[in-house]
Amino acid sequence: MGNPEIILLDGATGTMLQAAGLPVGELPEVWNLTHSETVTEIGRRYIEAGSDIIYANTFGANRHKLARSGYTPAELIAAGIRCAREAAGDADVRVALDIGPIGQLLEPLGTMSFTEAYDIYKEMVIAGAAAGADLVVFETMSDLYEVKAAVLAAKENTSLPVWVTMTFEATGRTFVGTTVPAMGLTLTGLGVDALGFNCSLGPKELLPMIAELREWTELPLILKPNAGLPDPATGKYTVTPEEFASELSGAAALGVGIFGGCCGTTPDFIRASAQKLAGLSPARRPAAKRRGVCSAAQTAAFSGVCVIGERINPTGKKRFQQALREADIGYIIERAVEQQDAGADILDINVGLPGVDEVDMMEKVVKAVQSVTDLPLQIDSSDPAAIEAGLRVVNGRAIVNSVNGRREVLDAILPLCKKYGAAVVGLCLDENGIPADAAGRIAIAERILEAALSYGIPREDVLIDCLTLTVSAQQEQAAETLKAVRYVTEELGLHTVLGVSNISFGLPARENITVSFLTQAMHAGLDLPIVNPNQTAIMDAVAAFKVLSGQDRDSEAYIARFAETAQAAPSAPSASAQMTLEAAIGRGLKQETAALTEKALETMTELEVVNSLLIPALDRVGERYEKQEIFLPQLINAANAACEGFEIIKRRIAEKGGGSVSKGKIVIATVHGDIHDIGKNIVRVVLENYGYTVIDLGRDVPAETVVEAAIREDARLVGLSALMTTTVVSMAETIAALRKSGHDCRIMVGGAVLTPEYAAEIGADYYAKDAKQSADIAKLVLG
Amino acid sequence: MQARLTEIRRSEALRYLGWKGGALPPEIEADIARCEALLMETARPRAVWRKFGLAPDGAMLGTDFRPAGEDIRRLLSGCESAVLIAATLGAEAETLLRRMQVRSMADAVILDACAGAAIENVCDNLCTDIAAELAPMFLTERFSPGYGDLPLAQQRELCRVLDVGRRIGVSLSDGGIMIPQKTVTAILGVSPIPTAKRRRGCEGCELYETCAYRKDGTTCGKS
Repeated sequence: MGNPEIILLDGATGTMLQAAGLPVGELPEVWNLTHSETVTEIGRRYIEAGSDIIYANTFGANRHKLARSGYTPAELIAAGIRCAREAAGDADVRVALDIGPIGQLLEPLGTMSFTEAYDIYKEMVIAGAAAGADLVVFETMSDLYEVKAAVLAAKENTSLPVWVTMTFEATGRTFVGTTVPAMGLTLTGLGVDALGFNCSLGPKELLPMIAELREWTELPLILKPNAGLPDPATGKYTVTPEEFASELSGAAALGVGIFGGCCGTTPDFIRASAQKLAGLSPARRPAAKRRGVCSAAQTAAFSGVCVIGERINPTGKKRFQQALREADIGYIIERAVEQQDAGADILDINVGLPGVDEVDMMEKVVKAVQSVTDLPLQIDSSDPAAIEAGLRVVNGRAIVNSVNGRREVLDAILPLCKKYGAAVVGLCLDENGIPADAAGRIAIAERILEAALSYGIPREDVLIDCLTLTVSAQQEQAAETLKAVRYVTEELGLHTVLGVSNISFGLPARENITVSFLTQAMHAGLDLPIVNPNQTAIMDAVAAFKVLSGQDRDSEAYIARFAETAQAAPSAPSASAQMTLEAAIGRGLKQETAALTEKALETMTELEVVNSLLIPALDRVGERYEKQEIFLPQLINAANAACEGFEIIKRRIAEKGGGSVSKGKIVIATVHGDIHDIGKNIVRVVLENYGYTVIDLGRDVPAETVVEAAIREDARLVGLSALMTTTVVSMAETIAALRKSGHDCRIMVGGAVLTPEYAAEIGADYYAKDAKQSADIAKLVLG
Repeated sequence: MQARLTEIRRSEALRYLGWKGGALPPEIEADIARCEALLMETARPRAVWRKFGLAPDGAMLGTDFRPAGEDIRRLLSGCESAVLIAATLGAEAETLLRRMQVRSMADAVILDACAGAAIENVCDNLCTDIAAELAPMFLTERFSPGYGDLPLAQQRELCRVLDVGRRIGVSLSDGGIMIPQKTVTAILGVSPIPTAKRRRGCEGCELYETCAYRKDGTTCGKS
């Protein structure tokens, strides 16, 4: 368009193709081969209207969408780039490989894995680069996780510039909940070259989001909106080219320099925009002032105190170690939810334990934790491979915990932080150990900062840990730590991290010491304390500090916190002397069940409590359910209450270093192709609470995975669920595969569309009509 | 037009829970009330609809979508156009439901039932709003892929024609499952005269495939 300060993109391709006769619902990319002249002509018209960059007609040319088309991504992408090149001719116009969402949701909402998504994008970007694209644009994205897979695929397999635009609703979030700050932080961290918005809404509705985005990034901004919203009755858009152009020019005042149009826009819109933007310069932008870490849906800004929860860590926790060794992911994610409920802002994840494959476990736990909370994560390991495994699958922008002053550690880990855009914790120690005074630690902090800067990591992302030593052993060290925290905060201007709990080790009434030290450290500048958020006194101290420091405006959060406690107080009945364990379980009372289990353990062994109290109580509940005296939520409540009892017993046995109280192993899964797993999850809860060890393979599980698990775990009972008539077929296949493997096991099946007859027909041994019946079958098979 | 969730009918939710009547224990009643409130607060329903002329062979004009079977032919007889709708409770409700399964499975079961009642309410509201927009024409009842002899497999075409991924964030898995799971698609006729409300019967119910009552050989008594 001739204005060197502004880049003008094209308008809609789909709209133009439909006007040229493409039926609604047909694959537009096929026209690159069948109607190449039409596709080329559209590009030509955009160039005539003033486009500096045109997007090739390759939006949906992915393996998944083309599955039934008879074409490969490579051939349609090559044809699409060819059409665009031909349209460009000798003009000074760049051609973008245009890539949209795959069309399948990623885990945890959908079933596609991060790696599958990566592979699909990898195939596309390699084809695009080979065909001669000048840049890659990912657009119309709503899932930040999918964008991350796409950006990594582009950066690891091509050297092309990468632009990303996402689609937001008027609420400021995407369909899957991604926020604008999360987009800004994550994509800037991943090193894209420009970012912004497309599709979604009209230009003026997107202005507030542009204003928000530029607070979190200094990269060039892109705006490629729709021509307003379509009229549902006709499918037509309502904004005129002139209105569109003048609304776009409003964004130049916010510093946007790259413009185009999406659905409903035509060459007329681009021409009008070219005229309107010809004399404008994008306004100079203030420096982005906000930093932090995030998940796709939630941001912890580095301004004020953010609590990092420390409970996902096996150190000194027997029960957690057992969970890691048994790959009991359920136990681990409960720790995540618990800390979120207690008010943690960030979760530390440490899964290092001898005998456990840390790399594999880190990936599993990160994925599992982010499926149940929106909290940003801190990847805690000293193994670069485990750190990378975690960073790769994190949805959002994480912290790496940690590096220290040793050169080889810095050189191994800082490049990973740079590549994935993570913030990093630097511990003030090196090959000579922990310096005894503040000055020594500050010197190491400065060295770490220098190294981070040399790797291109901005100083705002370097978080220093001045190290807490146990005050009962080295009393003078508490003051040195505080001194260092103050210096690093005030003189180096860096954020600080501190694992606080260690201070009180070995002393009675530890909480007094911990809370007092925490308060003093926050006063010295500590803004990222690593603590146990389940300890009320600690979170109370943080809440009070936020009031005194002005972070909690008008004490709102503080007042809300204590209003809740005041209300909740009366409803915490203790186990009354009269109540029996059976009654407590029957009524679903968790605390009472726990208290009464403890009491029973004073006079009985663990196994006696299980067999003569917990299981009979559950049986009684089951009978009432069968007679329809109670219904499903009550059955589950009872099972959950019993679970409290079982947890106490498990913990006692783990502490004694003994084996398990398991009554046998059961492998369960929702079969391949099916994602309706609530029924299977209910069965898991009930079976676990009857004392069985349940290996839950999840949903959408391939037959071979079930066979493999059944053999590996030597499970004598396998449970399968399927909800849809369409997926009962995979259930039959899974049963056939189990039989063929020769593994000796019984198979029970359940699910809404199944009947006893149908279950027999597909070769199952048992049909379980509900969770209660699955427990009966387990008893029959395993005792 | 905004999708609207205005109420979660308690009786509906209880029916999904398999409640056979009688007095409800107060703690369960409180749990249900809590789940309803949580869902009303969390769910962000979204909907998309479009009106299409009907070709003589029953295809939606301007598309390659032709719903198959006798039932839909009967529904659309006498109509010159049809409306396609897709409505979802949204990813937020789906995520809530998944997380609740970690917090409390009992609450998750209740929440799931409430979500079933909620999506029905969203669909009812949407149809009311569309009918108002298309007045003086009238809408027939809604009919979804998988009901009667309308193949479930046509869900895919319907979703593509409405561009549900881009418009409301719904995707269809390879196995033909819509995500978010609390999503409904349907076809309605646009008729110059009001059509008699047929008793829908089990065949026309969204829970046809999975209904526990039907499996027990009874009905919920709703239609």
